[in-house]
Amino acid sequence: MKLSRRTFLKGTGAAGAAMAATRFLSGPGETLALAQAQGAPVEDYVPATCWIGKQECGMVAHRVNGRVIKFEGDPTNPRNLGTLCPKGMAQIMPVYDPNRVKTPLVRTNAKGQPGQWRQASWDEAIEISAAAIKEARDREPSIVLWQKGRSKSKYVYDEAVTETLGCTKLGHGAFCSDAGYRAMEYTVGLKGVLNPDFKHTRFVLAWGWNMTNSGGNQLCWITWPRQMLEARDAGMKIVFVDPRIRGAGPYADGWLPIRPGTDLALAQAMTSVLVEDGTIDQEYLVTYTNAPYLVGDDGFFVREGDVPLVWDERSEKAVPAGSSGASPALEGTYTVAGAKVRTAFEVFKEHIAARTPEWAADICGIPADDIRNTAREMGAAASIGSTIVVDGKSLPYRPVGVMAYHAMQQEMGFQATRALAQMLMMLGALGAVGGTLSTTKWEIDSKYYEWDAVEIGDGPYGFTLSSSKYFPINSGSTAVAATVMNDPGAFDVETLPEVMILHMANPVVSFPNTETIKEAFSKLKFTVVLSPWLSETADLFADVVLPAATVEKYEGPNSGSDTYIDAVTIRTPPMDPLFESRGEFDIYVDLFDRLGLLEGEGGFIHHINEQFELEGKHAMPTDRMPTARQILDAYAKGHEGIPEGIEYFEKKSSTYVKGPIPAEERYGYAVSPPFAGVLHRFYGESLLRYQHTMKDKGADEIFWRDYTPLPTWRGLTMDDSPPEYDLYLISHKLVEHKQGRTSFVPLLKELTGGQQLDMNTKTAEARGLQDKDWVWVESQNSVTGDTRTVKTQVHLTETLRPDTVSMRHGFGLWTHPEAQDQGPSPNTLFFTGPGYVANTADQSFQVKVRVDRADEG
Amino acid sequence: MEACKVENATPESSFFMYVFRFEQGEYPASRISFLPRPCMHCDNAPCVKVCPVGARYKREDGIVATDWDRCIGCRYCEVACPYGVNSFNWKDPEEAQYLDWKDPVITTATDGSIPPYRNPALDEAYGPEQRKIAGGGHVQGVMEKCTFCVHRVEEGLDPACAQTCPVRALIFGDLDDPDSAPAKALQQRESFTLLAEAGTEPRVHYVGGSPPTEDARQVDAPEVRV
Amino acid sequence: MATHNATLSRQARRSPSAWHLVVAVLVALVVLGIYAYAHELSEGMAVTGLRNIGPMGGATWGLYITFVVYFVGLSFAGISTAALIRLARIDRLRPISRMAELLTVVALVLAGLAIIADLGQPLRGIVNLLRYARPQSPFFGTFTLVISGYLFASLVYLYLDGRRDAWLTEQTAERHRGFYRFWAAGYRDTPAERERHDRATFWLAIAIVPLLITAHSTLGFVFGLQVGRPGWFSALQAPSFVILAGVSGLGMLAMIVAAVRRRQHREEELGVEIFKWLSTALVILVLSYLYLVVVELLTNLYTGSSRERDVMSELLFGDYAWIYWGAIGCFVGALVLLIFRVALPNLRGAVWPVVVAGALVNLGAIGKRYLIVVPSQTKGTLLPYDEGSYTPAWTEFALVIGLISLGVLSYMLFTRYFPIVEHPQPEPAEREEAQ
Ligand SMILES: Nc1nc2c(c(=O)[nH]1)N[C@H]1C(S)=C(S)[C@@H](COP(=O)(O)OP(=O)(O)OC[C@H]3O[C@@H](n4cnc5c(=O)[nH]c(N)nc54)[C@H](O)[C@@H]3O)O[C@H]1N2
Ligand SMILES: Nc1nc2c(c(=O)[nH]1)N[C@H]1C(S)=C(S)[C@@H](COP(=O)(O)OP(=O)(O)OC[C@H]3O[C@@H](n4cnc5c(=O)[nH]c(N)nc54)[C@H](O)[C@@H]3O)O[C@H]1N2
Ligand code: SF4
Ligand code: SF4
Ligand code: SF4
Ligand code: SF4
Ligand code: SF4
Ligand SMILES: [Mo]
Repeated sequence: MKLSRRTFLKGTGAAGAAMAATRFLSGPGETLALAQAQGAPVEDYVPATCWIGKQECGMVAHRVNGRVIKFEGDPTNPRNLGTLCPKGMAQIMPVYDPNRVKTPLVRTNAKGQPGQWRQASWDEAIEISAAAIKEARDREPSIVLWQKGRSKSKYVYDEAVTETLGCTKLGHGAFCSDAGYRAMEYTVGLKGVLNPDFKHTRFVLAWGWNMTNSGGNQLCWITWPRQMLEARDAGMKIVFVDPRIRGAGPYADGWLPIRPGTDLALAQAMTSVLVEDGTIDQEYLVTYTNAPYLVGDDGFFVREGDVPLVWDERSEKAVPAGSSGASPALEGTYTVAGAKVRTAFEVFKEHIAARTPEWAADICGIPADDIRNTAREMGAAASIGSTIVVDGKSLPYRPVGVMAYHAMQQEMGFQATRALAQMLMMLGALGAVGGTLSTTKWEIDSKYYEWDAVEIGDGPYGFTLSSSKYFPINSGSTAVAATVMNDPGAFDVETLPEVMILHMANPVVSFPNTETIKEAFSKLKFTVVLSPWLSETADLFADVVLPAATVEKYEGPNSGSDTYIDAVTIRTPPMDPLFESRGEFDIYVDLFDRLGLLEGEGGFIHHINEQFELEGKHAMPTDRMPTARQILDAYAKGHEGIPEGIEYFEKKSSTYVKGPIPAEERYGYAVSPPFAGVLHRFYGESLLRYQHTMKDKGADEIFWRDYTPLPTWRGLTMDDSPPEYDLYLISHKLVEHKQGRTSFVPLLKELTGGQQLDMNTKTAEARGLQDKDWVWVESQNSVTGDTRTVKTQVHLTETLRPDTVSMRHGFGLWTHPEAQDQGPSPNTLFFTGPGYVANTADQSFQVKVRVDRADEG
Repeated sequence: MEACKVENATPESSFFMYVFRFEQGEYPASRISFLPRPCMHCDNAPCVKVCPVGARYKREDGIVATDWDRCIGCRYCEVACPYGVNSFNWKDPEEAQYLDWKDPVITTATDGSIPPYRNPALDEAYGPEQRKIAGGGHVQGVMEKCTFCVHRVEEGLDPACAQTCPVRALIFGDLDDPDSAPAKALQQRESFTLLAEAGTEPRVHYVGGSPPTEDARQVDAPEVRV
Repeated sequence: MATHNATLSRQARRSPSAWHLVVAVLVALVVLGIYAYAHELSEGMAVTGLRNIGPMGGATWGLYITFVVYFVGLSFAGISTAALIRLARIDRLRPISRMAELLTVVALVLAGLAIIADLGQPLRGIVNLLRYARPQSPFFGTFTLVISGYLFASLVYLYLDGRRDAWLTEQTAERHRGFYRFWAAGYRDTPAERERHDRATFWLAIAIVPLLITAHSTLGFVFGLQVGRPGWFSALQAPSFVILAGVSGLGMLAMIVAAVRRRQHREEELGVEIFKWLSTALVILVLSYLYLVVVELLTNLYTGSSRERDVMSELLFGDYAWIYWGAIGCFVGALVLLIFRVALPNLRGAVWPVVVAGALVNLGAIGKRYLIVVPSQTKGTLLPYDEGSYTPAWTEFALVIGLISLGVLSYMLFTRYFPIVEHPQPEPAEREEAQ
């Protein structure tokens, strides 16, 4: 029933009369103020993209007289199909928040304490920043640090900006999921962690997937849960491997409540069941992995020249891998040149023979039968040998998926992810239809080769310790850099960062360990922060704060793919930037202009052209200052070939849908050659090589011990804490909050309350604790003996292991008036530094704590 | 919950849509369940029966509406409703709107509307009766609750909550029309209504799942502040 | 005529300063109540302790509704006593008839004010309740019947019943004669008039009885018909409402009678007979009430749904136990006192035990009214909301105290300017004489 214009007008007339009556009866000002406009309101809808989250869900901005009154999901975006999650829906409030940073700010007091500021013009703020950057950069570009959190336009920010500056770039990855990325890059060559092929899968292990609250591999939220539910409606089973079951909601078909940090042991125990049962995809292992390579007693491959040997069953002798006509043996011990050699798989079999479910039961705190049954159920579901026709191609069908992401940030995360990959390799499920994928398209990342060929140098090292004897495979961790900055001598480092550009990250709150990070940041000579809010990091350490716009800016491109349909999104502003804020593109253009790095060869524009692969008439002129709109217009026309250019995204849709991703691009088996021609590193020979070098160069065992060719369980560092630290602390995200950047959004805040310590009811009973009691939570670093303490309230639950407690991520902010009094961040408690940082420089989010009753408040 | 809040510009701590999250059972057999709870738009609505002034009424199309121009704020509907869906306007509507939207730094951008995302359509009169029943009230001392987004439904749109649900857990449509999506869902799968024993004949049906058991413990409840 | 003169002078001319002091304190409390209400009007009801049921974990009806129910209960006893005296022609109770009528009127006005105080939109309330009245709503019962109809009837009754005294007073009064003349409205106390009058009040009394029962039952229905509130949905609600109303009203009457007796030195007119009657009636009503309480308790504990049981156990052992057992203690205490009064020789016929018992049962009644209104909201949600709580805010206490003070004040003023004890009717002999 649409209102015709006449009835509409009549409606407003009546409204006027009723309004007057309301006034009389209820006194003035009792209804909400409404913008008074002349005549009938003008309504329209313009595209936008979600700015608060991570997957840039497409949006439609509903406007009345140019004022945005609501963001709704854009039905054309494959990721969200017209829907939005609570954060996406609520983002309209922070966009209009009067507490945003409104003008550039320049610090007037000493750093390390809450800031005092004076307002500055853009001109002045850029000038101050450019001068500081230039001074440092002229001496040594690498002492300029570009620290990002989430990046919403990788090509422009992560690549063009950093390349133009020649600076050191650090991301948030080492706190997010980089351990998993490193493992997958190294093992399979893909830049991603693990996710099921939900359209075809039948059995899924949600490995630390906080399904009803957050992420999963690479995406933000909406997409995976929706695909999961559709798959489950179609008969898929899903088992959660998580110390908590809260994230599963009502959708768990099984739960293995694993002890934190022991995922490697569980994965191997499950693998051992598969091996024992002979549930093995021989063909895959032989053809696409290095499992048949012959390994000598020293653990290295036996080679002829550069080429590793395999045992040819046909000729019954060792032949170079890849020899035509050979039929490599997967298992067995052979004698080559008088020496006893085994295939890598044989080594593996012996390695995990004792790693039975019974062995893991003690370590992981899960009954052996549950482990064995789950492994068998998975093995059966894999239906090894079966095929299915997709897009006209007959492909291996292994409907077994694993979803793993942030949970792999644990002490042994890199090797735990490798163990998971090996488990899937047994089934041939990596890259199979219905199996486990890692990226949207099966494209090989250059890191696959790099991580196999790290040249571990001698000191002095760079402050990120990349290519060092400490972390040869290196995720570039801010916490490691901070640890180094606080004691460079201990790591043989001489050159330290002096200037930092902080882009969309809030390390003081988001990255462990808070104290370590603060100490290091206080040593920086100059810090400029780009943020719409006065982040806590800015509050303590910024010299200059540049107000970034929020949703109201040009930014991108970003992927809009749901992994089945290819799409790209570009953020376009549904309104002018509020206050004096500006989009980051424009800020960087200005900054580079001031630095003299904008134009010409090697300038910012040049780098953007390179990144966007813009050539000829599509290339942007490198002698003219572009606007953000022009940059993205060039991208849309030149790279994507969209005739309307940026107007498409401004007027038509947030999302440019390119169409379904064909099987040949998606599944490892289907790409040509299969798996893009790389051999999967079932056996990590180079890891052993690094271990030897690290030892030779005198690195401590704590650094080299996890550089093993096969994932090898050892006792956890945190378990060396004294017995009074008797609980494992983990953390989790909430569906209402996005990292450390929303706890001050009143609409979201009211849904959650603040920090709390989830604790099993029985555990609490044993300590005489009741729901909402105040407690001290104290963590202990078993290597250094340091302790850290926070105070919070307990929340009793039956959904958590009795030996584990969990805190919510995203609290501990203080600059925004609405952020205060919501309790601490758990990142005060997690430790940075040897033992707590994985061999890839990745941060762990598990630590041993004690919990003691505290006074109220 | 958020779609409803933004669509209807509801005051702080007022939830036309409320999603229960509760725990049942003991570790390791514990389970979490979710239950979205709008107004049930009961066919035999106790709230309608008790309203002394007819501000709460049942529309021809089944929507249980609240006329915020007539309501006297007696809160009888609230005590009569078994589901706890009613939400009274305890304070000045502008002060109940989360942030200080009167701050001059923002009013220039928002034309002074409070909150900035307020939709003028909420203040129109709806239905053949032409009464003020959309989410525009928030008048101090007046009752409100889920309107089934009457201002959207009359335009042929889905309610805001159903429109935004990422997993399409909410389907809206005409139950009297056997071809409508909800009617079909009801035919295909088991369903229940909440507190059926109360005889309220809710218009909201839950497909699949089962009603909360008696040992259900609410977790992660919103933190209210008035 | 001499006796009449004496009566009036005894009450209207004595004005010691203690009286002024009490009036001053009461006026101050009324002002406080008005201030609280103004605060509530301007800031919204957020300044009360009331909150939404369920998501806010509150009670949306609280102290105000508690007192609405309580005041209406008081009025019940008043008018029923008056009507009873008239209909059953219990002449020995005639001296308290007007007190009872006045109690009704004052209590009803207070109830009305308390309802207005509870409305989010009081002005709209007054207009819309009449404009859009819906008799289907039990609320209509409380409003249109109790507050308007019933108040109107009681006022008429009080008026008619007072005409004779007004005329008599006018004859002797020194001040405010206009007021008395106005009230008397031409009444001359001729036997014919007296006869007509008598008939009129008799029929009015008869008419009031059904009104009375419906009104109080509907008030019970306000709660009793609500399926959604465990603890409310019970057929017993209406009877126990009526009986508890009687208990509190008689108790209040006993206190008033004692006060008037003392202040106006009416030891003879308001004699032991009256107290005996009051105390007997009270004992019977309290006993019946306790019986209903036990029945209700047993039904809820054994047959009630789990939510009913939850609410019940909250009352018996939970947050509300102190009020519950306190109230029961008050009733039992009153009962014991009244029985002792008969049983113990040195207490026999004493007035104070009746007064104390009256006070106790009123406290108990307030407690019980509170328990009927509140816990079913905070602890009686049928969906798994967190448990709620409700603590009245100072505004609510101030307003209720202001209302009570207003009531006492009005009562005091009335008794100061109008004969609260009816002038004795002329003896039949006298009547004949006059004829
Ligand atoms: N609402 C919301 N969604 C988000 C985000 C957000 O901030 N809010 N952030 C996005 C980002 S950046 C990311 S990286 C993703 C992350 O999304 P997820 O990978 O789902 O990660 P988390 O939400 O951090 O949940 C980690 C889960 O791992 C479990 N866990 C903790 N320690 C261990 C362990 O040792 N072993 C196992 N097996 N499990 C463990 C926790 O109990 C928890 O359930 O979410 C994205 N989506
Ligand atoms: N204990 C614990 N810690 C965790 C996690 C956990 O699960 N538990 N999760 C980890 C994970 S997965 C991640 S990815 C990291 C994330 O950690 P970070 O990358 O630090 O992310 P945020 O905490 O969201 O901080 C983002 C900052 O960017 C600013 N900002 C917001 N919008 C914009 C914008 O549009 N432009 C610009 N320039 N700035 C903006 C905000 O002010 C905010 O301060 O946290 C990690 N930390
Ligand atoms: S899932 Fe992430 S990107 Fe999508 S709407 Fe939610 S917060 Fe935004
Ligand atoms: S759910 Fe409550 S408010 Fe809604 S129609 Fe039913 S009784 Fe009325
Ligand atoms: S609060 Fe309003 S809608 Fe509810 S019963 Fe009273 S008058 Fe009717
Ligand atoms: S139908 Fe509309 S008013 Fe009702 S809960 Fe959904 S969004 Fe809110
Ligand atoms: S999944 Fe749907 S119904 Fe459930 S809370 Fe989210 S939007 Fe609401
Ligand atoms: Mo992340």
